[in-house]
Amino acid sequence: MEKKPKEKRPQLSRRDLIKTSGLLGAAAILSSTSRMFAAGSDKIRIGLIGCGGRGMYDTTNCLKSAENVELVAMGDLFKDRVNGAMQALKENLGEKVKVTSDSCFVGWDAYKKVIACDVDLVILTEAPHFRPEHLRAAIEAGKHVFMEKPVAVDPVGVRSVIESSALADQKKLTILAGTQMRRIAHLVAIMERIHNGDLGKILGGQCVRIGGGMLDWGARQRQPNWSDMEWQIRRWLFLTWLSGDFICEMHVHNLDIVNWALDAHPVQCMGMGGRQVRTAPEYGDAYDHFAVEYEYPNDLRIEYMGAQIDGATDRCDQRLVGTKGSAYMDFGNAIIEGEKPFKYEGPTPDPCIRQHADQIAAIREGKALNEGKRIAESTLTTIMGRMSAYTGRALKWDWVMNASKLDLRPPKYEFGDLPMPPVAMPGKTPLI
Amino acid sequence: MVEFEIGDFVIEREKFMNGKTDQNKHNLTRRDFVKTSAALAAALAAGTERIFAAGSDVLRVGLIGCGGRGTGAAKDCVSAAPGVEIVAMGDMFKDRLDSAFEDLKKNLGDKAKVTREKCFVGFDAYQKVIASGVDLVLLAGPPHFRAAHLKAAIEAGKHVFMEKPAGVDPAGIRSVIVLAELAEKKGLGLVAGTQRRHQAHYNEIMKRVRNGDIGEIVAAQCYWNGGDMLGYWKWYEQSDTLKGMEWQCRNWPWFTWLSGDHIVEQHVHNIDVVNWALGAHPVQCMGMGGRQVRTLGNIYDHFAVEFEYPNGVRVSSMCRQITGCADRVSERIVGTKGATYTDSSVGYIEGAKAYKYEGPNPNPYVQEHTDLIKSIREGKAMNEGRQVAESTLCAIMGRMSAYTGRALKWDWAMNASKLDLTPAKYEFGDMPFEPVAVPGKTQLI
Repeated sequence: MEKKPKEKRPQLSRRDLIKTSGLLGAAAILSSTSRMFAAGSDKIRIGLIGCGGRGMYDTTNCLKSAENVELVAMGDLFKDRVNGAMQALKENLGEKVKVTSDSCFVGWDAYKKVIACDVDLVILTEAPHFRPEHLRAAIEAGKHVFMEKPVAVDPVGVRSVIESSALADQKKLTILAGTQMRRIAHLVAIMERIHNGDLGKILGGQCVRIGGGMLDWGARQRQPNWSDMEWQIRRWLFLTWLSGDFICEMHVHNLDIVNWALDAHPVQCMGMGGRQVRTAPEYGDAYDHFAVEYEYPNDLRIEYMGAQIDGATDRCDQRLVGTKGSAYMDFGNAIIEGEKPFKYEGPTPDPCIRQHADQIAAIREGKALNEGKRIAESTLTTIMGRMSAYTGRALKWDWVMNASKLDLRPPKYEFGDLPMPPVAMPGKTPLI
Repeated sequence: MVEFEIGDFVIEREKFMNGKTDQNKHNLTRRDFVKTSAALAAALAAGTERIFAAGSDVLRVGLIGCGGRGTGAAKDCVSAAPGVEIVAMGDMFKDRLDSAFEDLKKNLGDKAKVTREKCFVGFDAYQKVIASGVDLVLLAGPPHFRAAHLKAAIEAGKHVFMEKPAGVDPAGIRSVIVLAELAEKKGLGLVAGTQRRHQAHYNEIMKRVRNGDIGEIVAAQCYWNGGDMLGYWKWYEQSDTLKGMEWQCRNWPWFTWLSGDHIVEQHVHNIDVVNWALGAHPVQCMGMGGRQVRTLGNIYDHFAVEFEYPNGVRVSSMCRQITGCADRVSERIVGTKGATYTDSSVGYIEGAKAYKYEGPNPNPYVQEHTDLIKSIREGKAMNEGRQVAESTLCAIMGRMSAYTGRALKWDWAMNASKLDLTPAKYEFGDMPFEPVAVPGKTQLI
């Protein structure tokens, strides 16, 4: 494919870069980018941080998304996860997996060791709790980043992600977030129309995701040699300090679609929720249902409802209504009814591969791609809804973004005692 | 405004009783009454046994359910118009009846004509009140009993003021609708305690909504987020060793079979406003909820429901009874040209035809009786039976959806649901608590 020579940045191969390093030294240091890429020709070396199911999935997609992309390093908190992922990825991707036992790392500092390998891009797929720290380390080391959603579990983490994203801009590093719905064809098509005013002034909307209880997820049985910390991390999905709770962990996809459509974040919210079904201790402190009213600029109210309850009526859709029509969006459909009706009928290539292809291309072409702030804001949208439900208090965005001191980090990152956090009680759980 | 309507009638009523608002004096004179006798004759012909005491303009009232709301309703009714007297009273419990009797005697003077002989206690007290030569009965027992009490009253040809909600299950609602039709045929008045329908600023806002001032309605929200109510019913502090029928009946707000849960018992007010604005009931709903803090009885402490009305209009309902949380009790209707905001004291419209109600705000708890009595005396008896039954069914279907986790259609809830929360027997004795509902497990009936 012929490339348009519109980039002003020098198109250097790795070899060129080495040769001219004296010459480029000052500029390279200024931009702090450790490597630049020849258009399409050079390898992109990937480091995977977080070797669970999603980490393997994202890595597979990334490696398949373009030529000359290789996995060269891996890290995880747990040895069994690293080993399992290495074996599975080698079986599936063969030559593209160049990881050796020397470039496999385990433990709390595994992410630092992966970043210190000669990698160009890191895939951050540890539990959401760790995202801000991992992102900061990667950006400071000059690595491009693909990070799964959500990107934080508390306002302190969100602020860190926004800072790291700004730093990435300065360093001309790309950041891609795993909100793949931003790239699915039918939503891209309908968003163009919504942003074009086809609904008129938007007056209301709903965002609903009701699904199963995920009761069989993860390790159900605590092993005798697992410390409290290990048990909680192995059950991270159900611990708010690790996952942000499911409104954050999963439904950030849906609320991100709303923010996208409205090209805004909420100004305030009022939420409620609880755990009515998923009450066994192995489900940590996560709720099983949330309902939040988000108020966007111009007094626009969007109702979000989310649940993870087996046997409930499943639903997953977003709807907006405006003066001239209404839009219905789910993961497979995009429909506008009203003055300018529309129904997407075209193909919908897998956005999970497309997103990596976009990032690889951006890296190779030196194009700006930074979704850090946007996904941080969508993550905060979900966090403020959770905080409102947990405490029972109505919250303002500006307060959550700027003043909330909520920081869910444990006293120490070490495998030892860690009491199970209490389930939030509205009206009692303090607002921090 | 800071909303703190604990048990709407308690706080709202206190607010009005503190003299902040105009008491709407009823101006019907004896002469006016005589003039309307022709209309009354027609109503009589329509099968009403007695409109009110023959040959006098005195309206004789029987009170069924002598709790806080019943006692309040009796006072409101008496002060709503001249020539209204309380002549009979009944309650399940003697102590409740006695305290209400003393309260009314003390506060209503000679308008509390009721004597000890016209005071009745027990499960059948309502039948005895109805048989006491009354013209109008006030139905203020726990919501569970509404349908049975209404049946007895309408069949006996009595006018009725009944508190909201109109029932706790679809079986009860169907019964109330049939009885409302019967009341219509008999020319009987039937007004419900959804007092917002009788409140000046609500009426002015609704008139403008009807007139198209906010354009086509596309969305709405309604809320009753307030405290846990523990301060207003103290009966739960009584012996917890005997949690049988009596304990449950005394603690009725906390049992679904008795109150319908707080979405029905309390939030029906706000849902009713939405039905009023839209001139319709929902076609389907999907709800969620739970009890995260509350431990008493078997009701939830929060609900969120999406109601879908005709033409795809979706309405969000949120209600919560948890102390220490954000309180909000209001309604908002969004149209293509503007939006309304209403709560118990304020009503305004923003948009192309902005408006704010600035007029007087007569006590709606009195006004509802004034309107009922006036309609009776003019021989054009009001009948709100169907409307409150429908609003109550909205709340019930929201609860059923939250309890089961299932999305529900109105037609199914109205016509096919077999849910009937009537206990096996009405007698004081052991009675286990029904379990708290668990979505996905609790059966849809």
